[in-house]
Amino acid sequence: MRYKLLLAIMLLFSVLLPSNAQGLAGTVTGTVVSRIGREPIDNALVQIYSEGQEIWSTKTDVAGRFWIVNVANGNYMLSFSADGYAPSMVNIVVEGYEKDLRFISLLPLNADRDELDASNFSELDMDDSGYNDNPTILFGSNDPYTSIAGYGFSSIRYLNRGYSSETQDVYLAGVRLNDAMTGLSPYGLWSGLNEATRSKDTSIGLEMADYGVGGFNGTTNILAVPESVRSGWRFSVLSNSALYRLRLMATYASGPLDNGWSYAFNASARLGGNDWVEGLYYRNFAFYGGVSKKIDPENSLALVAFVSPGQRGAQNASTQEVYDLMGDNMYNSNWGYQNGKVRNSRVRKTFEPVALLKYDYTPSSEFSATAALVFRTGWNGYTALDWYDAMDPRPDYYRNLPSYSYIEDEDYNRANDEKAAWAAEMWNPAISAYSNYQHINWDRLYNVNMNNPDGRSKYAVEERHKDQNELDLAGNLKWKASENFTLKAGYSLRLNRTEYYKKIADLLGGQYYLNVDQFAERDFAFDESKIQNDLDYYLAHGTAEKIGKGGKYGYDYIARLRKAEVWTGGEYTRGNFSATASARIGGESFWREGLMCKGLFPESSKGKSEVRSFLTYAGKLGLQYIVNGGHRIAADVGYFNDAPTFEQSFLSARTRNDIVRNLTTVKTVSTDLTYQYSNGGYNARITGYYTKRMDQTDLMSFYDDSQNSFTNFAMTGIDQRHMGIEMGVKVPFFVEGLTLSAVLSLGEHIYTSTPHMVQAIDNSAEIIRDEEVPYWQSHPVYKVWKIEDGVTYYDQDADGYIVDHYQKHYVPSSPQLASELALNYRTNSYWFFELNGQYFAHSHLDMNPLYRTHFACSGGDGVETPSEIEYMAAQEEFDPAFLLNCSIGKSWYIKRTYNIGFSLQVNNMLNNTWVKTGGYEQTRLIKSAGKDRYYRFDPKYFYMQGANYMLNIYFRF
Amino acid sequence: MKKYIAIFAAVLALCSCQSLKEEFQPVFTGEYQAPDAYRYYQDSDFGKIITIAQLASCYKTGNPFEMPAGDKKYSPTDEQKALLAGAVIKGTVISTDKPGNFYKSFFIQDQTGGMEIKVGKNGLYNDYLPGQTVYVKLDGLTLGMYGFKSGNYGGMGMVQIGFADPSGEYETSYMEIGYLIDKHILRGNPAEAVPAEPIEMKESDFPDGKTATQAKSRFVGSLVTIRNLRYSDEIFCLLYLDSNKDKKSYTNRIFLSDTNGIEKYGKTHGIKTLAMSESQMKEYLYAGCWDDCLVGSGNEYLLDDNGNQVSVGMLRGDGSYPAIEKAAYSVSQYFSTPSGIEVQIRTSGFCKFANYPIPADVLDGSRRIDVTGILSIYNGSFQFTVNSADDFVYSDTKEKLYK
Repeated sequence: MRYKLLLAIMLLFSVLLPSNAQGLAGTVTGTVVSRIGREPIDNALVQIYSEGQEIWSTKTDVAGRFWIVNVANGNYMLSFSADGYAPSMVNIVVEGYEKDLRFISLLPLNADRDELDASNFSELDMDDSGYNDNPTILFGSNDPYTSIAGYGFSSIRYLNRGYSSETQDVYLAGVRLNDAMTGLSPYGLWSGLNEATRSKDTSIGLEMADYGVGGFNGTTNILAVPESVRSGWRFSVLSNSALYRLRLMATYASGPLDNGWSYAFNASARLGGNDWVEGLYYRNFAFYGGVSKKIDPENSLALVAFVSPGQRGAQNASTQEVYDLMGDNMYNSNWGYQNGKVRNSRVRKTFEPVALLKYDYTPSSEFSATAALVFRTGWNGYTALDWYDAMDPRPDYYRNLPSYSYIEDEDYNRANDEKAAWAAEMWNPAISAYSNYQHINWDRLYNVNMNNPDGRSKYAVEERHKDQNELDLAGNLKWKASENFTLKAGYSLRLNRTEYYKKIADLLGGQYYLNVDQFAERDFAFDESKIQNDLDYYLAHGTAEKIGKGGKYGYDYIARLRKAEVWTGGEYTRGNFSATASARIGGESFWREGLMCKGLFPESSKGKSEVRSFLTYAGKLGLQYIVNGGHRIAADVGYFNDAPTFEQSFLSARTRNDIVRNLTTVKTVSTDLTYQYSNGGYNARITGYYTKRMDQTDLMSFYDDSQNSFTNFAMTGIDQRHMGIEMGVKVPFFVEGLTLSAVLSLGEHIYTSTPHMVQAIDNSAEIIRDEEVPYWQSHPVYKVWKIEDGVTYYDQDADGYIVDHYQKHYVPSSPQLASELALNYRTNSYWFFELNGQYFAHSHLDMNPLYRTHFACSGGDGVETPSEIEYMAAQEEFDPAFLLNCSIGKSWYIKRTYNIGFSLQVNNMLNNTWVKTGGYEQTRLIKSAGKDRYYRFDPKYFYMQGANYMLNIYFRF
Repeated sequence: MKKYIAIFAAVLALCSCQSLKEEFQPVFTGEYQAPDAYRYYQDSDFGKIITIAQLASCYKTGNPFEMPAGDKKYSPTDEQKALLAGAVIKGTVISTDKPGNFYKSFFIQDQTGGMEIKVGKNGLYNDYLPGQTVYVKLDGLTLGMYGFKSGNYGGMGMVQIGFADPSGEYETSYMEIGYLIDKHILRGNPAEAVPAEPIEMKESDFPDGKTATQAKSRFVGSLVTIRNLRYSDEIFCLLYLDSNKDKKSYTNRIFLSDTNGIEKYGKTHGIKTLAMSESQMKEYLYAGCWDDCLVGSGNEYLLDDNGNQVSVGMLRGDGSYPAIEKAAYSVSQYFSTPSGIEVQIRTSGFCKFANYPIPADVLDGSRRIDVTGILSIYNGSFQFTVNSADDFVYSDTKEKLYK
């Protein structure tokens, strides 16, 4: 279905080719059905070949029927292919008349594989690292690259072409639903509803979609209406060792009934922990219900509602020192024992229902229009420990580690090896009595609270909320104005109100939590009004509020967003050539509305901020040429001007209305060139791409050791360039049913600008640095004169040190070389086997801007030396990784009605537990003994889980 | 059909395996019950409890050692070793880091004296409540001193308990490591906590700062009340140009002392608050209070390009003194007893009452104050640290200075 556009073009193209008929003779007709359940397959591509040359193609209708008319007498080969099915070929002889091939059955390609739901592997929640629960690419099809990269690369957290998740447009029934505040794709809203959301239209790269101009990283439109859910009953039990133990799922869809109604439901439960990361667990449920009515041939209406509520324990990154001490790269610092039970301090709890009303109007085969209204509401909370004027409760806090007392290099001024030995002893994983030091010591937190004479909790579990209410309205039309021109157009409106606040989830044995800002207290301990989170309450009552369980505290503000957009696109075909052009224009406004008056910022914390409005627009052009015989060449180019997101626009939205200076739109120019071949079971595609993103903003808040203060850091003017090639090949391999696939993605995704930074003290908004980040895009590597006794001496000339070359810095957290070789075997008795090897390389650690400043590279003496720059500004590249995975499956049919089967997938068979999938640099600095230079804190990493399995057993009728 | 039965049986067999049971253990997601209270200790849990004075008497100036036996560098006498082996000290917690005037350590006292325990963590008052009994196991900890200075202008410092400091910068280091702390510092039941009554300290009770430690005076390190203190128009404070640079270098230091730049404001340098937070420090600085003070220490002074001594006033710049670090600073405010014993009340710039002004009638000497706090000795001088602003009262009316 991903190639709907392509198929449509091909269909049009085929209509334009009457000259190929060599004398009117016969007609070929038939019905393409699934070998499983004999369901008709619509949109299947039927190609007819004569002497190896494709002479015609068409696609099947909703009943799976196809007709090829005016076929001259002779011998032909017919090829059938459809999304999700193994292609099939039939030799036929046309001798006049109508030749009815009756049923052509295709073996579902992913009958077993899609039950694996490899996309589930991407749902790991690693919030702190910026991870999100999105599949890398959400489509499976005959395109070998996307089917493998979409499923198979998720364990390494592969980002397609290095693009971050918010560049992928995700639509629900034609309504773009990317998160209004962050732009991130919204898969979490329907996670666990795999059956109900399985049907989707997708486009890749810069291709235009039916429901919008789309971006440069593909679009996905989840159909979501009940008639798109596969009909019948489906039950499955899934167990895996990487995410959760158990998934139970039930689905029923009526399919289109004679009276015009369709209805469907889908429910699932995902429960339990996993083999690798303690504390990581699921307790999620998901429900989907939909009903639609085809009122008459022209009008139909659908109403759908779904929700995926539940809770999930999250994982945290730690430094390599901690992993080594624990002897486990899967160590998770988020949990501890409470009364012998594992308790995770970081749990995501969500309840975000979505309702969809969709209207379809199809007055003729040339014209169709849809309108859809989406409403989302509910809450999204994420717990964390909060504490006030008490010891840091995090077990892997840097002061608890041996390296805080002892580092071999004397310049660190950490010489207490005896104390380090005590710390190392405390981290001995073999001694269970030490688990209170190695994990969160809940007992201590309770004891502190219970012993506090005034009942005040010094430790509490907070729940950070981001509760969205959103109304979206979108309308799209498609009009085939003439044989070779189709017009598409649409509009979209979005209203969003998101409240950000935190509340007390658990007082941990105390009576109340006091609503004061302990970071403010560091600087303003003597000024009670300044440390108030809620100054109004303080002024009214003379004291800070005592917050009980469930009470809001800390911060509370609303983000409001308004967005409107119109778009249009045209598709022109002539002969083998086709062209598409599309454009959109719109506006987006947002502002902050503070609900709490903060003691530090009585003027700027409460009330409405300035409204920021942005004009957004984009344009795209695509050209395509199809060569007979299954060749296709396509080129696309696009320019995009998009608003920054709310969450990247306020310097410290938590406390005040200050907007990032020089805030501007993000500009993107992107182009790609594709060659594709698809014929006789052979599939190949190669695409080259070039994308430049400009004027991006990044915000962070961190403790700055040089200021002894919590600071806000805004970096503007970040440019990136992504270029590379991706290719995929799938070929039949000697034996029938055996195929070999190979994919390769090789890119260079780099930073190309010197951004500007503004750093402000969080407690005062005072700007302390306002300058460039000179070593962000690269850092100089100096010419070495000699190395003596381990000391490097750099060459100098009259102008000082000599730069040998500049080392580029890369867009992080995804391998820039990703490849797979897969061998796939399926039998006619419904067995399938797959073995694949994957190789990933050139993945880099996310950089923090502080380490790329003159300030950090010069140290206390203010003098930058080559060795300081090369040490401080360098970016870590992860080791390459080789992975081996396999899967096996089988299904059985009982009386042609019941279908029972299983599939088993084993990932990372070599049990590599040293593969870094991401992480981040800490933003802190260590002063050297002589105070003349800085050292870095160790970075924190996430690792890929070792060998894991996923077993699925299903039953359908 | 047989085949399906076989498969079903196989699945059933697998599910009954013990390993599968373990694999499928449910994750607890219900309401967690509050854990049990800590284990609390009492005297009977320990074999040998020695007094703080006994412990302090094992210390010899300049010779910190790991208890009980020391090492090659220094080891105590056999008698001392025998005393210390397996011993604990027991005391009542008398300090609190809640308002921030104490930091990372706390004091305990028994009948013989007080002792600082260098824990090295924040928010210690949450774990060691004022009045709570605490036992300290001495084995493995280091006995050392802070603040000793030899010579005519020197004298004793305070005997402390901490961990070894191989860098030699100090005689002891903070314990810092949770396991190390919990192994050595054991709590009595907080329900039985009784806040210590301060000991009334008469002028005759002041020991000789040149020689006295907790070994000789029960007042040293203890919670005491000193009465009738009169302000003596003198402060001491050490400022830095840049704390990211070497703090010990004379080029980085400004002494607000009794000799440096006292022409305009005298020995108080215009400082009328107990200490100064960052904002308070800026106020004094921008008002030009310290313009005459020279950058340097001892007899070494920072010189400019022309060889002139650099004063704070020369660093004024646009009025914001860009070359001087704006930060919170501790201040010692000098007082004296009626008979002239000097007591420096030292207050941290980070504490909640740092900016509290000393009342005018105290500053001008017309009223005297009674102060309760922990008496310590630094370079032979008496330093006094209060727990909270409530610890200052007028001598005449017994009213609190800060209400």
